[in-house]
Amino acid sequence: MKKGSLERRRTFSVGQFILTALMLLLAATMLVPILNIVANSFSDPMKSPGMSGLRIIPDGFSLLNYQIVLSNTTILPALFNSVKITVVGTAINILLTTMAAYTLTRPKLLFKRTIMVFLIIMMLFDPGTVPEYLTIKQLGLMGSQWSVILVTAVSVYYLIIMMRYFQAVPQEICESALMDGAGHMRLLFSIMIPLAKAGIATITMFYAIVRWNEYFRAGIYITKNSQTTLQVILRQYVVSNDTATLIGDKNIGKYVNILDFNALKNATIVVAIVPVLILYPFVLKYYTKDVLAGSVKG
Amino acid sequence: MLDRKNRAPVLDMGGPTLSERVRRNLHTLRLDWVLYAMLLPTIVFFVIFRVWPIWNMRLAFFTYKAKTAWEWAGLKYFQQIFATPQFGNILKNTLIISFMKYVLLFPFFVIFAILLSEMRMHRCRKVVQVISYLPHFLGWVVIAGIWINFLSYDGAVSEILSWFGVSPSNHMTNRNSIRWILFLSEGWRSMGWDSIIYYTTIIGISPSLYEAAEMDGATRLQVIRHIVLPALLAPMSTMFILNLGYFMSAGFDQVLNFSNAAVQNTIDILDTYIYRVGIQNGQYSLASAVGLFKGVVGMVLVLCTHVTSKKLTGEGVW
Repeated sequence: MKKGSLERRRTFSVGQFILTALMLLLAATMLVPILNIVANSFSDPMKSPGMSGLRIIPDGFSLLNYQIVLSNTTILPALFNSVKITVVGTAINILLTTMAAYTLTRPKLLFKRTIMVFLIIMMLFDPGTVPEYLTIKQLGLMGSQWSVILVTAVSVYYLIIMMRYFQAVPQEICESALMDGAGHMRLLFSIMIPLAKAGIATITMFYAIVRWNEYFRAGIYITKNSQTTLQVILRQYVVSNDTATLIGDKNIGKYVNILDFNALKNATIVVAIVPVLILYPFVLKYYTKDVLAGSVKG
Repeated sequence: MLDRKNRAPVLDMGGPTLSERVRRNLHTLRLDWVLYAMLLPTIVFFVIFRVWPIWNMRLAFFTYKAKTAWEWAGLKYFQQIFATPQFGNILKNTLIISFMKYVLLFPFFVIFAILLSEMRMHRCRKVVQVISYLPHFLGWVVIAGIWINFLSYDGAVSEILSWFGVSPSNHMTNRNSIRWILFLSEGWRSMGWDSIIYYTTIIGISPSLYEAAEMDGATRLQVIRHIVLPALLAPMSTMFILNLGYFMSAGFDQVLNFSNAAVQNTIDILDTYIYRVGIQNGQYSLASAVGLFKGVVGMVLVLCTHVTSKKLTGEGVW
């Protein structure tokens, strides 16, 4: 009781008020630039040019920017390629990571230390852009989407996270399953993975978000424009300010006089943000749950 | 199997011999081959996509030949690097940008975590957390898009500055502010996420410590100074040493996407130089030499700090 009243008294102090206001203002500076892009992309094309940078509600409403972006003959295939690479790539990530994490968490594994040291070295040692580029070239993967998919097939960092989740599964369950004649594959897929669902969810999200945001390797390894990804096109468009890919498109012809290219750019950015926004609640649910609750386990 | 069991007591007299150990290991491997096969794809992956590139790093000492074997060049490419007039500028930029991002920005993450933990209104605190962790998950291309818009001639920053009588301009092309833009955008992206490690340390501090301090009539500032900060020292030193590992990199993805012709000289770093020279101009050997130089200096930095930290505070990374 006494502690509760202390807490309450502190809640309404002037210091708390200033602190809360300050932190919310800081959060606003993180959110407003994103919301401004969203608002601008949904605005009426006649009103969006010169829209205030602080505005977070669309000025008028129009889906024209999205209609053009999503029917664009460069952006649409790139979006499709991005989804494809993200889905296939993440599936490979999860498969390899869970299998390796399973093996590495078995108690009587031979050479366990040696393998772990090898993996840690692999994590710390970055050979750099050019040596990796040459390897892709020597492997004959240049130009293929497989280069991007395979070159990040396992991350030691996420492997270690997965191992932590598997270690939490009681050893007796595994032993009795093996005793009953289940093979390792069966044990992994029908017992371990369902028991470590939170871990699978966590690494899936992290892998998928990294895959989705990949632009550099896709930009240098995938040489054909028809094979490239959304982030590469977005980079050309936003960072290098190369609007030719959009202006040259035949779908744009009849709108060219009313279009606001800046708003069109913003619509493309929003399309690139949406998958992250879809995955973000799961990050909060599975990975930062304890942090959000204000308490840590153990 | 039976035979092995029968012989076991005899062998145990002097412990297993080498050949016995090898045979026993082979036996386990044969029995449990599925288990080891599950690890195999990962090992093969690392050998092909990490060990092979590491082996390719030797190109720094060779001249690249596409069809035939590479030609030994000795230290030629390293001499070439140090003879390049802009190299000094690039190295300086790298160190300045890293210093701003990894030393100047660093305390703000700690302050953010402390302020967050001091918030008593739980719902507000959660709102701040949910918003501040989000930018970490956006790719640098998207962040560059957001910031270019934010800092443009008619963007939010120009508008706010105009309230104070500053005439609007495109800040992204201003060479005097671009490094601070890198500093701020890094903070914008990482403030929430990078403060998590400090935040979890703070909420892990035993409540009895706080209660004792309260009993003694300590103010909030005294509590932070004498209880919270000492607890944060360990994660701070670990993060600081790990940051030094990135010191020679300075954040390639960010710099590449925030760069434009007007400011390129001010923020050209080692990695953007490697990209330009190696990938765009095809001078593989020269770029590999810069990469090797970068890697070795980075590693020496981390080792030195680790050893110093261990001597001074007893805390290192490992």
